[in-house]
Amino acid sequence: MEMLYHQFKRRVFGMAHRIVGPNDAEEVAQEVFVRVFRGLAAFRGDSALSTWIYRLTVNASLSHLARRGRRQEVGDDTLADVPAAPEVSRDPALASRIERALVELPPGYRAILVLHDVEGLSHEECAAILECRVGTCKSQLHKARARMRELLGPIGVDRS
Amino acid sequence: MNCDDVRPQLTSYLDGELEDDRGSAVRGHLRECDACRAASDDEAALRDGLRTLPSLDVPSTLWAGVHRQLANAEVADAHTPHWRRVARRWAAALSPQQWMTPRFALASSAVAVIVCVWAWRYTHRDEGQPVDVLATIARATVVAPNHAPHATNSVNDPNDVAAEVAAVPKQMTDDYAQAAQELVALAQASRTQWPDDRKQVFDAKLAELQHTVDGATEGRPRQKAYRALIRYLQRVTTRDEVAFANVGGL
Repeated sequence: MEMLYHQFKRRVFGMAHRIVGPNDAEEVAQEVFVRVFRGLAAFRGDSALSTWIYRLTVNASLSHLARRGRRQEVGDDTLADVPAAPEVSRDPALASRIERALVELPPGYRAILVLHDVEGLSHEECAAILECRVGTCKSQLHKARARMRELLGPIGVDRS
Repeated sequence: MNCDDVRPQLTSYLDGELEDDRGSAVRGHLRECDACRAASDDEAALRDGLRTLPSLDVPSTLWAGVHRQLANAEVADAHTPHWRRVARRWAAALSPQQWMTPRFALASSAVAVIVCVWAWRYTHRDEGQPVDVLATIARATVVAPNHAPHATNSVNDPNDVAAEVAAVPKQMTDDYAQAAQELVALAQASRTQWPDDRKQVFDAKLAELQHTVDGATEGRPRQKAYRALIRYLQRVTTRDEVAFANVGGL
């Protein structure tokens, strides 16, 4: 089982971190691995093992957020305090601004963005993990990106 | 094509999913429209920013936490009455999430359509002509050759639904094959740490089960062979969990 842990720990922790935030990511990742180890014997093989594990991760993360309350704790330095990106070709603070904007997104949008854009999974894989249609997955992704752009404002593209 | 047409397509365009003529039209609009080009640049920058977010370091305490929670769960199991554990298993197995799958919905829809077709033909039959029920159902269940399931969206045509239903076993076999492949990879990774006698037993059993899979005919026999292989690999990998728990001093 240790092999399984090492194979998936980075992605499971990364997804949990970006969906529930840094404070609870470890707790959620632990919960996911406990479910994986205790449920592996009952895994029916009707989806890819990775899909099953990522589905557990997303479900555990969203359940955790639902239990904790609708919004993630952002802390004192909310997105509004982040200075607007300068009009330069590369924004050195873009990664941290994106991480903060992610926290501001509704959990469902956050999940699809993390799966598709951060983890690089295909629309088909995302649909299998979220148990929805590929078309639904694409439209949710479009809305999530639009919301992210609203939150971020111009993101450092040189238009001079 | 105007801005209202282009904006909803930007995501698909940047993901390279638009067909040539639509992609070309969007590109053409972006050349002329500063606002849409700015939106497109922003979206592309956002997508690149998300893709290049730094990988997160997994805390070193995570593994120990998993150990601890597994131990707690097992202790809780030991204190739970047998009947309650059985009831919990049954509740999980009977949960709608377990059987209310897209395949179940598809199969139910297919049955409903076949029944409707039969009922319609029965009520509209020429009184002088006997209704050929079997032929009706057979026509509805015949699968058109080379009929790709993703191309069938209409549930109004029973032949289309029948083709989708017929494609389900093939998809199931593919899913089993992928799961088996992943479990074999896991077991092979664990195998390097096993004693020689255990390796020999594993290799022989794996070869036997894979031979059974290869020799099984398509459809249910092959799925059954895959299930046997998956069950064996699950047992093998789960044995490691016991060993790991002992090492961990639980």
